[in-house]
Amino acid sequence: MRYRIGLVALLAVVAWGLPYGLNLYAMHVADVALVFAVLAIGLGLAMGVAGQVNLAQVAFFGVGSYAVAILTTHYGYGFWPAALLSLVATVVIGLLVGTPALRVQSHYLGIVTLGLAVAFTNWVTNAALAGGASGISGIPVPPLGGVDLSSDYLYWYVEVVVFAAALAFGLFVVRTPLGRRMRAMRDDSLAAGAVGAEVPMLRMAAFGLASVYGGLAGVLYAGLIRYVSPDTFSMTNMFLLLAMVIIGGRQSLVGCVVGALALSLLREALSDASTYAQLGYGVVVVLAVVFAPTGLAGLPARLRSGWRKRRGEGASAAVLGPFRPFPAAPQASAPVGPGPLLEVQQISKRFRGLWALREVSLSVGAGEIRGIVGPNGSGKTTLFNVISGLYRPSGGTVRLGGAPVGGRRPYQLSHAGLARTFQNLRLFNNLTVRENVLVAADRSRTRGIWRYAVWQVGVVRRDRALRARADAMLDQFGLSAFADALPRSLPYGIQRRVEIARAMVSGPRLLLLDEPAAGLNGEEVRQLGEIVRSIRDSGVTVVIIEHNMGLVMSLCERITVLASGEVIAEGGPAEVAATPRVIEAYLGDSAMSKDVPPVIATEVAQ
Amino acid sequence: MQVFFQTLIGGLSLGAVYALVAMGFSLVYRTMGLVNFAHGDVVMIGAYVASTFYMSAKLPFALAIVAAIVVTGLIGVIIERVLRPLENKDFDLMLIGTIGFGIVLEAVATLIWGATGRAVPSPVPAAPLDIFGIRVRTYNLVVLAIAALAMVALVLFLQRTKRGAAMQAVAMDYEAATAVGIHVGRSNALSFSIGAGLAALGGGLVGPLLYVNASMGGSLGIKGFAAAILGGFGSIPGAILGGLAIGVLDSFSAGHFQGYSDLVTFLVFTVIIMVRPTGVFGERTVNRA
Repeated sequence: MRYRIGLVALLAVVAWGLPYGLNLYAMHVADVALVFAVLAIGLGLAMGVAGQVNLAQVAFFGVGSYAVAILTTHYGYGFWPAALLSLVATVVIGLLVGTPALRVQSHYLGIVTLGLAVAFTNWVTNAALAGGASGISGIPVPPLGGVDLSSDYLYWYVEVVVFAAALAFGLFVVRTPLGRRMRAMRDDSLAAGAVGAEVPMLRMAAFGLASVYGGLAGVLYAGLIRYVSPDTFSMTNMFLLLAMVIIGGRQSLVGCVVGALALSLLREALSDASTYAQLGYGVVVVLAVVFAPTGLAGLPARLRSGWRKRRGEGASAAVLGPFRPFPAAPQASAPVGPGPLLEVQQISKRFRGLWALREVSLSVGAGEIRGIVGPNGSGKTTLFNVISGLYRPSGGTVRLGGAPVGGRRPYQLSHAGLARTFQNLRLFNNLTVRENVLVAADRSRTRGIWRYAVWQVGVVRRDRALRARADAMLDQFGLSAFADALPRSLPYGIQRRVEIARAMVSGPRLLLLDEPAAGLNGEEVRQLGEIVRSIRDSGVTVVIIEHNMGLVMSLCERITVLASGEVIAEGGPAEVAATPRVIEAYLGDSAMSKDVPPVIATEVAQ
Repeated sequence: MQVFFQTLIGGLSLGAVYALVAMGFSLVYRTMGLVNFAHGDVVMIGAYVASTFYMSAKLPFALAIVAAIVVTGLIGVIIERVLRPLENKDFDLMLIGTIGFGIVLEAVATLIWGATGRAVPSPVPAAPLDIFGIRVRTYNLVVLAIAALAMVALVLFLQRTKRGAAMQAVAMDYEAATAVGIHVGRSNALSFSIGAGLAALGGGLVGPLLYVNASMGGSLGIKGFAAAILGGFGSIPGAILGGLAIGVLDSFSAGHFQGYSDLVTFLVFTVIIMVRPTGVFGERTVNRA
């Protein structure tokens, strides 16, 4: 920490003293480099942090610059009012460009944003308002008291202040709930939705942030160069910006800044051989994605782990602590209202010609542990996906606590008190265990992000409360020793437990567990049984899909059996195990020959 | 009416080129899950190589295109080889890696052929044909015919030959394909070089239609890509339909909005994608939870 403060102080001194040691040309280069650094932070936030492939960042930059130019030269606005209006305009454009992200992702989004960026360049090169190919000159010098900002030396200080604020705000976003949710969405948008992150709003927020930085950079650029032309906002520069962010390390804002400064200076140094420079950074981008996907920013960590491996230091000797049971809920408060907590009525789900579920009905009372079993492909996970809002049912209704929840999005269901785990573990792989739990602990709605703009102290306070809650939950599950580890580095059984902790920290009324015992050893299965029982005793209703019959039989009061998308039996463990149709579904027709059933029935019941 | 038909024919022949580009995209995407953003620049290289052989080496136009196909096929194999570690892993990184390759190809083209670009003379007589009172550039018809032939050949190859069937199998499930004895690496390399070859064919054909320069890859690539998405990514008939649609859209918006044609084309494209993200023939992939 002290080391960091020292570093920041040192950088501040360097930034303050830099103009004294540079000639006019070098100063200008440094000014331009800093503008690109601000722009790169925006791209890093959208692409590296939120995972939105935004190839229109240069267009945002252009919108900011052109808006200032047009407002000042055509409409006679002063520089600062024009700057403010330009920022607003850029954000509006940014949100419009971002709307396709609600429907498409990854390469589709890349091509749409790139296309819109081309459309922007196309417009400015043709429109008379934007000065056509020759651009707009004569943007006034930004007035600032008696300070003459036409001097590149003095302008530097304005830039440094804006840049420092922009970087600080970016880092603040990344490390607090909003950024955490964005990173969770980047790693696994499905799971992020299931733990309560409002994915559509977060995508828009990512584009909003990117455009704020784009607009800011545009305003700075307009004030610095006082001339805008289409060339600056071409695709070539978009790819240069992309190279800055990739080479610097897209997931780290500081990396983006370093990449931007380095490439800007390099481009200037090689301005006589610009084609070779282009060739060079193209090659470096290719090498970076193959060999160093985390960019320059990721190098220290890679070196450190390589060093540790060399010295033979294995993984840390952290041990899994024991699970501490939840406090039992007072009996009286358990039933919330009349009727069951979860009621599934006549649910059908069709994938083209295949009926994955056909008029499935079941109701689970509050405080129950319900087992759902059935052969592979019988529709168990599809049923969970329908209940948790990932799939829209083809017919039927789902009620949670008496209220119909059909057609609600996963995040809405999460806020309504539903939590789930996934058959093939869906942890956020680039977030630590603590952050995984923190994302789910955050129960706020995304519309609360206005606090980021006006009341940061509130954000910090809330974050502190969340951390306390998450740490308590980790401690409860005996996971404290792994809080700072990445999930992938942990044994499978521990990852499973992390996922349950993540589901529980949201304080659900109903918990859906999808094959929680898959891949666990005997002792871990026993602990799992203990955990699930304690969760139920704390007042949470549990529905569990499981193939481990021993666990299901010992844990569940009632069991529902699915086969080929239909409920074929429901009842207590012994009752279900003796049902002929269940035996048939599991063992086939031959098992129905007269002498087998008693043997099987006792086998299964044990 | 006459103007309408002339614009239509012009759009269709440009669209046929986009379709070739889009087919390259789709072929590579469906077999390897690789979105090749450098594809447009491969087209550009193809256009340059073909025009060089045709104009400087005085080779017949058809031979020049074959030479271009060989060169770009090699480039395709190199790109595939370098990015192989990322296949089926990190989609976004792969996408950026191919963008990096695009930057490299553009720089290489500038170094070899200069930044100014060149006009390629039409290989067939320039006098327009007169069909039912509609004047059509002869070369447009040549482009349409060759592109149609290439499409038919590709579809036949994929459906009727063993290698083609193997490529389809790899596309559906590469582990299962390995299990039945298909050499996945070789199959992928083949599909990548066919994709690059299609790009060269498109590039060679587009030479006399447009002005050949180092930055043409960008706009050709984006439009070819848009065509592939419009038709449904990974679908060959979709690529053809999407290519023709983008070409016609482009041609008409150039007629009506002059300089603003790119603006209009991409706005329309964005709206279509938002209404129907999976394109016309696209498959909706199911998220497995």
